[in-house]
Amino acid sequence: MTKQHTISLFIIFSFLIFCAVTYTHSLSPYVSFAEARTTKGTVQVKGTLSADNIAYLPESNQLRFRLRDDAGEEALIVYTGTKPEGLEHTASIVAIGRYQNNQFAADKLLIKCPSKYQRSVNR
Amino acid sequence: MLNHRISNIITALAAVGVIYAVFFIVPPVEGLGEKVRIVFFHIPAAWISVMAFVLSALWALRYLNTHQIEYDRKSATAAGLGFFFCLLATISGALFAKITWGAYWNWDPRQTTIFILLLLYGASFALRTAIHDIDQRAKISSAYSLLSIVVMPFLVFVIPRYYSSLHPSPVINSAAKIAMDPVMLYTLIAALLVASALFRQLFIYYIERTRRRDLAQKDSPEGGGRL
Repeated sequence: MTKQHTISLFIIFSFLIFCAVTYTHSLSPYVSFAEARTTKGTVQVKGTLSADNIAYLPESNQLRFRLRDDAGEEALIVYTGTKPEGLEHTASIVAIGRYQNNQFAADKLLIKCPSKYQRSVNR
Repeated sequence: MLNHRISNIITALAAVGVIYAVFFIVPPVEGLGEKVRIVFFHIPAAWISVMAFVLSALWALRYLNTHQIEYDRKSATAAGLGFFFCLLATISGALFAKITWGAYWNWDPRQTTIFILLLLYGASFALRTAIHDIDQRAKISSAYSLLSIVVMPFLVFVIPRYYSSLHPSPVINSAAKIAMDPVMLYTLIAALLVASALFRQLFIYYIERTRRRDLAQKDSPEGGGRL
């Protein structure tokens, strides 16, 4: 390996490490409630249901439940719209919206299904 | 050529068998229900693309050692097929995401990394078409293929496991055990074998085509006999 090869490889790998360090944070769109509070725009908070306390208000088509984010903080999620299928049995939930007045107003909910790959007992 | 036709027929029959098993034998599962069937297309596509990228890098290395243009052909063909299977994995993944999460695309870490992987290998084709000299093209794209293989494991295996994601956990879990219903597991293994056979058939077909094209170019007055 010539000196030129070594220098080029050094430059390439330094650049790769620089990219890895700088951009890894932007690889995930999910933030914690703490970050959501300080952000003005729409954010995505990922977490798990903190209890089986999903309240549905039919008159306003509103869904209210508490979500515990990956950092362990809990907050109230308020979502207007149709209740996603199997919300109670999800492994985790992503709420997309904004944090305001001590609650998280979600425009959209994404659901992570549990990946068990085991035969359904109902059938 | 006759052998290739026979293996084409065997691959097609095996594919029909696996598709039948996926839709009529595999049971619905807890949580995912009937949606689980897409897994048998999505996982093999992703695995084959990784295998193709590894093969591409191995042939690239052999080209750099031997300077035999045949290895460059193999490396480029494997990278092209890897890109195609990666695209299939991305599309089937997006469909799977829509029916489970509720959105086709959410820039989830898994989706972001596969997008970067597609860009990485997509750029290699742009690079190849930009260089007309056969030896120069082979040398540069071999080096590119080797650099890509350094990045690929991070994009496929490391980063998606580091971040929390909506993507289901890998089939082989952190305890290195496969928690899967036996019928599903056998079907998945069969699907992987059929996908590998499909890769092999496509690979042979495209290698033969490229070889013929290169020979025609060599014989033409502009070809310059560089092979």
